[in-house]
Amino acid sequence: MGMIPPAIFALYFLKLKRQPLEVPSTYLWHRVIEDLHVNSLWQRLRKSLLLFLQLLLIGLVILALLRPGWRGQSLEGQRFIFLIDKSASMSATDTKTGVTRLEDAKSRVAALVDQLDSGMSAMVISFAEQPNVVQEFTNNRRLLHEALARIGPSAGQTDLTGALELADGFANPGRVTVDDAGGEFEVTEQQDVELYIFSDGRFRGVEGFSLGNLQPLFLPIGRFESQNLAITALNTRRGEERAEIQQAFVQVVNFSDASQTVVVELYLNERLLDAAELDVPAGNAGSTTFHLGNEVRGVLRAKLDIPKQFNDQLSLDNEAFAEVEDRRDSRVLLVTPGNTALESALSTERADRFAKVEKVAPGVLEKKEFLSQSQSDTYDLIIFDQCQPKTMPMANTVFVGRLPPVEEWAEGAETEPVFGPQIIDWQRSHPLLSLLELGNVQIIDALVVRPPLGGRVLIDSTKGPIFSIAPRGRYEDAILSFEIVGTDEQGRRTFNTDWPRKYSFPSFWLNVLGYFSGSHRDSHLHNQPEKPVELRVNSQAEELEVELPDGVRQIIRLETPGRLTFHGTEQLGVYTVWDAGVVAKRFAVNLFDREESDIRLQARQEGEDGVQVVESLSIGYVDVAAQSLSSPVRRELWKLLLAGALVVLVLEWYIYNRRVYI
Amino acid sequence: MAKISENPLLSPELLAQLERLELVTRKVFRGRMKGERRSKRKGQSVEFADFRNYVPGDDLRLLDWNLYARLEKLIIKLFLEEEDLHFYALIDSSMSMDFGSPTKLEYAKQLAAALGFVGLIRADRVRIETLAQGPAERSPILRGRHSMWRMLQHVEAIQPGESISLAEGVKNFCLRNAGRGVVVFISDLMDKEGYETALKYFVSHQVDCFVIQVLSQEEQEPEVKGDLKLVDCEDQDVAEITASAPLLNRYQQTLNSFVKGAQDFCSRRGIHYLLANNQLPVEELVANHLRRRGLVR
Repeated sequence: MGMIPPAIFALYFLKLKRQPLEVPSTYLWHRVIEDLHVNSLWQRLRKSLLLFLQLLLIGLVILALLRPGWRGQSLEGQRFIFLIDKSASMSATDTKTGVTRLEDAKSRVAALVDQLDSGMSAMVISFAEQPNVVQEFTNNRRLLHEALARIGPSAGQTDLTGALELADGFANPGRVTVDDAGGEFEVTEQQDVELYIFSDGRFRGVEGFSLGNLQPLFLPIGRFESQNLAITALNTRRGEERAEIQQAFVQVVNFSDASQTVVVELYLNERLLDAAELDVPAGNAGSTTFHLGNEVRGVLRAKLDIPKQFNDQLSLDNEAFAEVEDRRDSRVLLVTPGNTALESALSTERADRFAKVEKVAPGVLEKKEFLSQSQSDTYDLIIFDQCQPKTMPMANTVFVGRLPPVEEWAEGAETEPVFGPQIIDWQRSHPLLSLLELGNVQIIDALVVRPPLGGRVLIDSTKGPIFSIAPRGRYEDAILSFEIVGTDEQGRRTFNTDWPRKYSFPSFWLNVLGYFSGSHRDSHLHNQPEKPVELRVNSQAEELEVELPDGVRQIIRLETPGRLTFHGTEQLGVYTVWDAGVVAKRFAVNLFDREESDIRLQARQEGEDGVQVVESLSIGYVDVAAQSLSSPVRRELWKLLLAGALVVLVLEWYIYNRRVYI
Repeated sequence: MAKISENPLLSPELLAQLERLELVTRKVFRGRMKGERRSKRKGQSVEFADFRNYVPGDDLRLLDWNLYARLEKLIIKLFLEEEDLHFYALIDSSMSMDFGSPTKLEYAKQLAAALGFVGLIRADRVRIETLAQGPAERSPILRGRHSMWRMLQHVEAIQPGESISLAEGVKNFCLRNAGRGVVVFISDLMDKEGYETALKYFVSHQVDCFVIQVLSQEEQEPEVKGDLKLVDCEDQDVAEITASAPLLNRYQQTLNSFVKGAQDFCSRRGIHYLLANNQLPVEELVANHLRRRGLVR
């Protein structure tokens, strides 16, 4: 093939057989030629232009036949969805250029967007805890670039499912329509959609999801050897030995291959309180406890002082926040004619940490002192065992074996007690019944009570509901419709159930104390970014102001008075709830997620050599293998070269025919 | 053998148009015979010229008796003499004229015939010659309308094929024709030795000279493509060219400067110059261009 150009060259000089043409006189032509000979070199070049063009043509054709190409990312297909993970782990700065993984992913998507041809369209979805369509399908590259620029890092966890469902909605639109005659028609043309997932893969696979037309490509971002130290817990609690002393508990996890010594600093209201050195083994957790002393209030901040030689690549989890609340003891009143089982369940050491339980006899219900106290928010919870007040108190209540003296509850109740109900179902997800096993509880007599509107049945039996809960203003009433200790026909006190013998009994009452005894409930939960926070607020205001960690204030409407649901927890830190200029509540949002903090790419050994490759994603039954970081797609050049050759050919033809040079 | 032209040299329409014309010369020449043209000489015509005293020997018929009666002096009335005009058409019949459609020679012949016809109907002395004629070969002298057919036959018989330089041909012409008059020289002026010497003969011969340069369309806008070997039909000279836009541009420039040079040369020497394209109908050339140049009116 290499001989062709020299052959053309030789032919060009051999061939030049001019066609003879008789003219009246060469007189003028000779003068013309003489003129042109003055710049003859240029003339020769001009004359040889056709030769050069032929050589160029052959060169292009030969080059095309050699099938050149280069490695690069290419877009094959018509429609594309770019899923960009923006979760906390994507803020790691372990990319080659030192930018965050998210920026890396964005720049890689931008590079792909630049390759979009006119017939292609793409959409961009970012996802962390919640998926978000940043840009719907468009072929406008400017819009796509703008959409990419809008994606900011989030502190949330990774949830691919939502993003996949969203993408599925766009990629597999309603496929069938039914006409009047009942015939089914395909509405939309089924089109494959290329799904590019840019993520570090720090999440579990997605189960029970069908990809349909989606053609997934997983492009992992990150490195195997990334290092990170993370605070994975910060709790406050009462000292085990001395209940009046509060303690702070900090847990640090080392996500690297070597054990590390790290200093944990603890600040209270931005004042350094204490620091502790912690040895954390590789891939393991270390913890330390700080004594806060008595009567502490404010915001706790734990901070990791990362050693210099350690390259910590995710800074989000180097800080943690906690709110130390006013330890006003919750007051719980137990009104009972005598119930040893209940009393002992409420007087355990654990129960003591939740609340101070006072016990009175039913006779007190008639007294003026009780009436005034019960109507003035004195108690957080009043437990009526085998008795009932005349009016409902201003407190949460738990009724045992009796109905509240209000019509709403009486309407759903059956007056006759049922015998031997068997528990068939209970709401395990409800905080009152969490971690309880009730299937083995035997009950003799019970009332069947259906909760009024807005209430929930928590325990269902063969005869009907026997434990329900319903809101009453800002309080809640829970009705356990069977007695624990009752009176038999002979007037002897006897057990109505064998529940007190089960482990679930004290646990249940601890749950009751924990659930109803006011503020303590909130501080034990740890709030995660991008997840809604539910708070109980001692306020009747309809609107509250929430101050975000960065100082921005948002006004939140309360749907039910005293109950604040806040969704805007994108930032890590302490949120302050303001009620008419007074701090009503504080809550902290922390990452505390080992999955997100472990920023190393999930690796898998493959082949006999044990080469480390990125673990593939499993979506439904499909394993989406990770594409290597620089996707080795061969970009072919021959089409371009042939097109160029064609252009040269046309040019040559044109020049030959039109006698146009240069 | 005479080539029978497909088209008659002079069509009836052209003849009708030519009937109205006459040849004009700025110079007043002495004719040989009585014609329709005023002469320098005084003579017999109806056009009054002057009076002069009678001297013995004058024709008594010319005396103005009215003046004699008034002045008692013998005065002769002089009238302008009317004479014929010598009209020559000199056709370049070299091989180079045998190009184009119609060929330049055809065109030249038609033009010469048309002008000759104008001369004939005005009783001028018409002689149509070619360059190739030797000093002794003379063409017939034509006079009067009845000579038209002879003239046409003579013109038709002119064939291309001689190769003689312009200068030589014109020199021979001048030797053959001593008489002065109007000379129309029809040629393409393409002579490698130049046209200047030839035209200078006309100047020195003191004739009223018209040079009509006939170029074919192919010469003015050549349609050539590719690599060519141009062969001169007269001397087989070869010019190798590769047709290109710059080359053609350059050709146009050269042609223009050639034409301009001839024009300048002629006007500087009192010779009328006219460039004719073989696509321009002879009628139009005669009626418009030549009338504007002052050859006919």
